[in-house]
Amino acid sequence: MPTPALSFEVRHAEKSYGGVRALIDAHLDLKGGEVHGLIGENGAGKSTLIKLLAGLETPDRLSLRLNGAAIDLPDSAAAYGMGFRFIHQELSIVPALSVAENLFINNPLPRLAGVFVDWKALHRRAREALQRLGIGHIDPQRRASGLSAGDAMLVKIASAFIGEEDGDEPLIMIMDEPTASLNSAEVALLFAVIDRLRSRGYALLYVTHRLDELYRIAQRVTVMRDGRVISTHAIAETNSSELIRQMTGRAVAGRSGEPGPAPRAGQARLNVRSLQTDAVAQANFELRAGEIMGIAGLVGSGRSELLYALFGIDPLLGGAIELDGQGLTALSPAQAWELGIAYVPEERRSQGLVLGDRVSQNITMPHLDRLSVLRCFVNDSKAKALSGQLGASVALKIAGLSQRVRQLSGGNQQKILFARAILAQPRLILLDEPTRGVDVGAKFDIYRLIRELAGQGASILMVSSEMDELLALCNRILIMRNGRTAEVVPAAELSENQLLERCYDLG
Amino acid sequence: MTANADTAVVRRRLVVTAVLRRYGTLIGFLLIVGFFWTQRPQTFMTIPNWVNITRQMSILGVVAFTMTIVMVTGDFDLSVGAMASLVGIVAGTTFQNGGSIAEAVALSLLVGAAGGAFNGLLVATIGISAFVATLGALTVFRGLALYISGGVSIYGRVIPSEFSSFGRGAIPLGRIGETDLALPNLTIIAFICLILVFIILNYTIVGRRLYAIGGNQEAARFGGIRINRLRLLSFVISGLGAAVAGLMLFSRLSTAHPTQGEGLMLQAIAAVFLGMTLSEESQPNVIGTLIGVLILGVLANGLTQMQIDTYIQQISTGVIIILAVTLSSLSQRQFRFRLLRRPRRQPPEVNA
Repeated sequence: MPTPALSFEVRHAEKSYGGVRALIDAHLDLKGGEVHGLIGENGAGKSTLIKLLAGLETPDRLSLRLNGAAIDLPDSAAAYGMGFRFIHQELSIVPALSVAENLFINNPLPRLAGVFVDWKALHRRAREALQRLGIGHIDPQRRASGLSAGDAMLVKIASAFIGEEDGDEPLIMIMDEPTASLNSAEVALLFAVIDRLRSRGYALLYVTHRLDELYRIAQRVTVMRDGRVISTHAIAETNSSELIRQMTGRAVAGRSGEPGPAPRAGQARLNVRSLQTDAVAQANFELRAGEIMGIAGLVGSGRSELLYALFGIDPLLGGAIELDGQGLTALSPAQAWELGIAYVPEERRSQGLVLGDRVSQNITMPHLDRLSVLRCFVNDSKAKALSGQLGASVALKIAGLSQRVRQLSGGNQQKILFARAILAQPRLILLDEPTRGVDVGAKFDIYRLIRELAGQGASILMVSSEMDELLALCNRILIMRNGRTAEVVPAAELSENQLLERCYDLG
Repeated sequence: MTANADTAVVRRRLVVTAVLRRYGTLIGFLLIVGFFWTQRPQTFMTIPNWVNITRQMSILGVVAFTMTIVMVTGDFDLSVGAMASLVGIVAGTTFQNGGSIAEAVALSLLVGAAGGAFNGLLVATIGISAFVATLGALTVFRGLALYISGGVSIYGRVIPSEFSSFGRGAIPLGRIGETDLALPNLTIIAFICLILVFIILNYTIVGRRLYAIGGNQEAARFGGIRINRLRLLSFVISGLGAAVAGLMLFSRLSTAHPTQGEGLMLQAIAAVFLGMTLSEESQPNVIGTLIGVLILGVLANGLTQMQIDTYIQQISTGVIIILAVTLSSLSQRQFRFRLLRRPRRQPPEVNA
C-alpha cells in the first residue's frame, strides 16, 4: 500500500452526566487494516465513547490524534469530514425512497441542468457503489421498504462511502451492534463486506454483545467496565471466559443479597407449553406459587416478548398458557388484570404511566371497576385512601396523591407501577427490568417489595439484564436464546460468569 | 441593586405571562364582553340579550360538548356538521312519509348513533386516522343528505307544528322590570347536554379512562383499559350529539336543507380548542368548551349588533381563536428566553 497505515488514538476520554461518571480516562487505538472489537456490559461506557467520537456529545475531556496530528470533533459534520462513519444499531433508512436515494441521503444527488435529478447517473453510481462492496445483488432502483434487515444494513454501510469519488480512501468505520437484527446468512454477507473494507486499509471499531463474532472478524478487542477501559488484547491471546470475567469484573460471583427462601413446595401456578408468537419461537416452563423466576438472555433473545405474550399484548400463534389450571386464550391486557396478572413494563414512561395524570389516578388505573359506585361512578375517596395506603407500603416519596406523575423521579415512578400491581392482589406478577434507571435507594426498596410479594404467595417472573440482581432475587432462572427458552437453572448453582456464559451459549 | 431590580422585573413579567397563559382565554372573553358593553350599552348587557345568546349558541353547544368527549381521547370528528344536516333530512323525510314526531326523533337518533359507530369502527377497530376516516364519513353523510332530499329543502306543511314551535318555544319565567323573561327550549336541551357530558367526563369510570387514553394510549392499554371499545363509544356519543343538534336546527328553522349544519364542525372544534387553553394540562374539558362556545356566541351577537359585516365577523373570530391558542401554547421556556435575554449577561465560556 502506498500510503502509510491509518492510525487513530483516543486518550483521556471523560464524560459525566449530572454527577454520574459515564467515562473515566478511557483510551483506544485504532489502526488501518484492523477490526477492533469493543465489548462491555450495559452501562460500561461503550455508547458514551461512540457518542463522543460522533460529535453528538461534548466531552468533559478528550484528546484525539489522527495519523499523529491532534484533531477536534465539535459536531457530527466535523466527524464526517474527518472520515468517520457510523453504523448504528437502529437503521435510519427511509423506506419510501429507493435504494439509490438512500445511498445518497447524506450527499447531493447528481443533477441535470442544475435542477433536475439525473436518475441515470444516480442509478449508475449507486450500482457501482454496491458492486465495490460486493453486494451487487441489491437493485439500486428498488424501494428500500422491501429490503431485508440485512440488505438494509448493507445499504446503510454502502451509503457511508458515497462521498468518496472512487471509494478507496480509507476511513474510520464505527459499528454499533450491526448484527442485532440480522440472520446468519445476512451476518455472513456483512462480515464479507467488513473483511473487504479491512483489507483496503480501513480502521474498524466493532461494538457487540456477541463474543463469537469477535473471533470471526476482529484482530484486537478492548473490554470496558464501569466507564473505564479494563484491557486491550490481541484476539488470539484471549478466550471467552477470560473476556466475560473482565466484563463482569468478578472472578467469583459477588452477590447483592441472599436468594429468597426456596418456595414452599407449592402447586404449579403458571404452565407454559410450546408458546409461540411473532417474536417468541418456542417457550416451555412451569412456575410455582410464591416462586421468583428470573429470565436472562441477550438483547433480542425474546425476554420481553415472552412477557408480552403472557400479558395478552402480543397474540399467541400457538401453544398454551395455564394459570392455576385455567387455560388462557385470546388474552388482552384488560383481561389479564382481571385474572390477577400484574405487569410492570420496561418503558415506564411510554408503556406504564400517564405522565400528566395524578399519582392516585395512575395507581388505580386498571382497578377502577373495583373502586366504583354502581360500576359507573369513580369512588374518589376510596381510590385516594387505597392509593395512600399503597403509596406508604411501597415507600413512595411524594408531595401528595394529587401530584402529577411527570414531576416524580424515576424511582418513585417505578414504585407507582408497583403500587398498581399490588392493588391487583396478583397471582402472577410480570416485571420487565424493574430497577432500570432507578437510584440505589429505590432499588433496594424494590428488591424488598419483590421478596414480600413472593412471600405472600404471588408468583413472579422477572426479566433483567443485571445478572447480580437475578442471582440475588430469584429461585430459578430461565435462560432464553434466539427466541427460545433454552434451560431453567436454580440460581443457587450459578455464578454471574456462568450465567452470562449460558446466555452466550458457552456453558 | 440594578441586578436585583432587573430580576424583580423579570419575575413580575414571568408571573404576568403565566397568568396570561393559564387564564388568557378567560380574560379575553371578559374583555370582549366589556368591549360590547361599552359599544352598545343599551342593548348588549341586558337579560333578554343574554337569553338570546344562549339560544343562538345552544345548537353549537350540543355539538361542541359531545365533540369534547371525542377530543379527550385525542381523536376528533369532522363529520358532525354533515351528520346534523343528514339528520334534518331524515326527520323531514319521515314527516313527508307520515311519520310522527316520536318516530322522526327516534330514527334521527338511530342514524346519529349508527354514523358515530361507523366512524368509531374505522378509527378504533380498523385503525384509520380520525382525520381521514371522519373526512370520508363527512362526504358520505353529505352525499346521503343530498341524495335522500334530491338536493332541495324540506319545509312547510309536512312539518308538524308542534315540532317547529318547539325550537322557537320557551318556558316563561315571569317578569323582571318591564320585560317578560322566558327560558328557551333549545337552551334547556343544551344545558342538559352540558350536565351529562360534565358528569361523564368528571365523575364516571368511563370519563377517567377516556382521559387516560388521551394522556398515553399505550400505557392505557397496558393498564387494562379496553381502548378500542371506549374510542368507539366516544364516536357514538359525538354522532348522537350531532343528531340532537340536527333536530334542534331543523326545529328552529322549520326547514331541513341538506347542507344547513355544515358550519357547526369547524366552530365546535374551535370551541374545544379554546377550552383546552383553560386547562392546566391543556386537556379538553367541557367547562372550557362552554367558555369557548360563549366566546363564539358573544362575538357573533355583539358584532351583529354593531352591524359589522358577517365576513368581517368570520375574520375576527378566526383571529381570536388563533390568538388564544398561540398564547397558551407558547412554552414557558420561550417566554423566559425572550425575557431574560436582555438583563442577563452571557455566562463565562466553559473550557472544553
